[in-house]
Amino acid sequence: MIRANDRSADIGPFIAADDDDVIICRCEEVTKGEIRKAVHSGMYTLAEVRRYLRCGMGLCQGQTCGRLVKGIIAHELGAKPSQLEPATGRAPMRPTEMRILGSEKR
Amino acid sequence: MKRYDLIIVGAGPAGLSAAAEASKRGMSVAVFDENAKPGGQLFKQIHKFFGSKKHKAKMRGYRIGEQLLSEVKGIADVELNSPVIGIYPGREVVVRQGDGIVHYCADSIIVATGASENAVPFEGWTLPGVMGAGAAQTMMNLHGVKPGENILMLGSGNVGLVVAFQLLQAGCNVKALVDAAPRIGGYGVHAAKIARCGVPFYLSHTVAKAEGTSCVTGAVIKRVDEHFRPIAGTEKHFDVDTICLAVGLSPMSQLLMMAGCDMEDNPKRGGQVPVCGEYGETSAPGIFAAGDVSGIEEASSAMIEGRMAGICAAAYLGFCTESEKWTALCPLKDDLNDLRQGMFAPKSHGKSLETTDEGILLSGTLLKKGHITSEEAERFPGVVHEAGVHPVIECTQNIPCNPCQDVCPKHCITVGSNITALPEVDKSANCIGCGMCVASCPGQAIFLLNENCAPGFATVTLPYEFLPLPQKGRKGKALDRAGKPVCSAEVVGVKASPAFDHTAILTIKVPSEMAMDARFFKEEGA
Amino acid sequence: MKNTADVIIIGSGIIGCASAYYLAKKGVSVIVLEADDSIGNGGSSRNGGGVRQSGRDPRELPLAMWGISHIWPTLSDELGTDVEYTQKGNLRLGKTEKDLKVLQNLTDHAVACGLDVRMINGKEVREINPYLSDEVTGASWCPTDGHANPLTTTLGYFKKARELGAHFITGEPVLKIKKEKGSARLAVTPDGVFEGDRILAAAGYETRLLTSKLGADVPMRGKKIECLVTEAEPPMFQQMLGTAEADFYGHQTKHGSFIFGGSTGLELFGQPDGGGAPMSTSIGAACTCRGIMKYFPALSNAKIIRTWAGWTDPSADGIPVIGQADGVHGLYIACGFTGHGFGIGPAAAYSIAEMMTGGKAPVDMSPFRCTRFKAKI
Repeated sequence: MIRANDRSADIGPFIAADDDDVIICRCEEVTKGEIRKAVHSGMYTLAEVRRYLRCGMGLCQGQTCGRLVKGIIAHELGAKPSQLEPATGRAPMRPTEMRILGSEKR
Repeated sequence: MKRYDLIIVGAGPAGLSAAAEASKRGMSVAVFDENAKPGGQLFKQIHKFFGSKKHKAKMRGYRIGEQLLSEVKGIADVELNSPVIGIYPGREVVVRQGDGIVHYCADSIIVATGASENAVPFEGWTLPGVMGAGAAQTMMNLHGVKPGENILMLGSGNVGLVVAFQLLQAGCNVKALVDAAPRIGGYGVHAAKIARCGVPFYLSHTVAKAEGTSCVTGAVIKRVDEHFRPIAGTEKHFDVDTICLAVGLSPMSQLLMMAGCDMEDNPKRGGQVPVCGEYGETSAPGIFAAGDVSGIEEASSAMIEGRMAGICAAAYLGFCTESEKWTALCPLKDDLNDLRQGMFAPKSHGKSLETTDEGILLSGTLLKKGHITSEEAERFPGVVHEAGVHPVIECTQNIPCNPCQDVCPKHCITVGSNITALPEVDKSANCIGCGMCVASCPGQAIFLLNENCAPGFATVTLPYEFLPLPQKGRKGKALDRAGKPVCSAEVVGVKASPAFDHTAILTIKVPSEMAMDARFFKEEGA
Repeated sequence: MKNTADVIIIGSGIIGCASAYYLAKKGVSVIVLEADDSIGNGGSSRNGGGVRQSGRDPRELPLAMWGISHIWPTLSDELGTDVEYTQKGNLRLGKTEKDLKVLQNLTDHAVACGLDVRMINGKEVREINPYLSDEVTGASWCPTDGHANPLTTTLGYFKKARELGAHFITGEPVLKIKKEKGSARLAVTPDGVFEGDRILAAAGYETRLLTSKLGADVPMRGKKIECLVTEAEPPMFQQMLGTAEADFYGHQTKHGSFIFGGSTGLELFGQPDGGGAPMSTSIGAACTCRGIMKYFPALSNAKIIRTWAGWTDPSADGIPVIGQADGVHGLYIACGFTGHGFGIGPAAAYSIAEMMTGGKAPVDMSPFRCTRFKAKI
């Protein structure tokens, strides 16, 4: 884990790249450029980027894009993906209709 | 709240194996799986497994799945269509079943939820037609649906290679197999199966674009440099409607995190995994992990890990003594270790080997093009030349595997006690040409040659797993290891037998000088 | 990394980030110290997003109303981030006579403070929101209430404050606040000491662990509550909703998903968490779903895709402490928002920034003074 993270540290400026418009989070249609810009706006963790852009908040809850987003954030920070915090998984592990979730059987 | 001694999440190879070991030690066991059918990835694996007899070598994956199911039938509650939606404090497990949720509680839990496919983004990757190789495999092998007509496969690990072959078997046209790495990542024999069918390999290439507006209509690949950056001007175009991604798996470990296990991001294990002991114990008391969820490997290792976790859960709750636990674990540990040897062992990852364990120079062409050359073949102890019919084994990498040795009634083939050793053909033994070795080799790497069956002619007997089976007397072309037609050929024998387990063997007659080149057959007009 | 500034802020939730912004805007140098690895990882990123005046303790009304008239409508433009502020009213629903009495009481108090809120009957309710079931017999209706996105609001304040020069350091827990020469100046962390002319403690429940040691305790407790979110649904309604019985509250977001919170009634008696991020219970979401479906049969098939929990910091009298710590020069406190701090947060932050820089808060802040807690006799 990267500890004591100074959000004003110099990670270099945001430099536009050719693949900035490639979609990374399919469910919410978040592009690589948006993720990279968020990092340069001071958002260094998966949780912050997810909350700001919605990548990982769609139906698949980050199963498809999680690893990709982590890699992009790590790259902008000049860090290794394994140094970033783990993605949190929460119940329900599969999308569940309200009437089913609300029906507790013995 | 219904209580069990052990709840297992996932009825795949690891989960069912764990259920078997735990149940037979007297534990009450429930296995919850979200799918409609049990067996996890096993039922999609229509190919024959490697390893040795105790690893179920030469058995097809789905048959192993059937065996596992019968082992737990009646003694564990295997509940399907039952996704576990959460694990809560106190080892409470909430499962969606029918039109509601049910709360269960267990004294121990084994999470064996496996892994999911990695994505790789490129322009157009969100178009219909881009899918994981595993998804294509599910469509074909479980549901009998062709994923597409013309396919590009990205990824040369075993998944990419095996699924590419299955796509060919399903009648699809695999236009190219692409990998950004400079060398093929999976077994050479898997690559050889598709190379001889004419599938071209493009190493050091990546997919630059999927074309199309509402679905995939084509793909563009580009060469990459040693830093994996695409090189402008190297575009190659393929007319495909499907792009399969086989670029690795990531453990589906969210439940373990929710259950409070310490986690780590371990690139060697495929990503986010629980911090785990050797037998699956996590940092959370009574919670274990087995199979791909604790580290990406394969079904054979998942089954052993499942057994070990099942035994440990039993010991944890006093259903067997510590001494009984170790008695059971030790042979399993050896079995697992036997699998983790050879060129593709986890400990060899990242190493660029140049020779086999025996000191034989590895085939460079195999690693780049997916096939060995006939000159390279001569280096290997399985490639011999004798009078009369005899095996020619083009197994050129150290992989734990030995069914060829056990299956020959005349003991022509030796692997030895170290099952990663390359097979050798005993020239003094008398081959009767039964074809059992040809059919039994999981890598389809064994051929029978009769180099002078008639003046100027040779026969080559090869494994054939396609339909329709060519009939005796049919004419066509013999293809070489690269899938190139090299000479005319005539089918002089076709043999299918229950003992061959759906691998037919085809004998073709070719000019003698082609005996060491002809490795596949294409009927004329086909 | 520099460790002195005019103001040290402890906590990077909505209060910490918005205060940092308002201070930085005034040219004040700020360092924000956040114990967690992520900005705003406490209640500010876990709440239901209500921006409301109705249903509040009357003492909060002037501040809440000021925020809604002065800050919220232009906040997205000001921050350059879409905070998704939607002002389409708030229906607080009732099913029984008892419910309606509770709502009437709240409404009367609010009207006395000048809030535009009134009681309406079941028919009028369904005219505003046709998806509500016939079980609803009445509601309080406040047209100037609404909702926003707490995640982008908190991060939007963070982003802008940082652009204006505020320094944020995460993974930096403050272990204690120390006085120097009679003034609270030092925030001690494992990595060293941060010094400021003033310190603002805005760390939710954990605030009292720091301030009590200086004789400025805030009587609060921690209470974990839960929320859930559905997949995106076609747009159905834009009002914020709540119930007299507090069985659920929530709204449909700009994205189309519904966010709801609810309660089982067992919140005060839950198992102690093992530490780390707060976790949902195995029964919370099911209970909230049943609560919702009684009012919204139309949502029965909406799929829940995530549940989560968060800590609130109920104060002894249900409203926050905002202002200078009594008798501790240099120390300011903003906490105890009791689970309804998001909507009032920007106004509270604006006010505390004024109070810390010799300015004047826009409303009378004496109801929030920390000296108000007295024994009952």
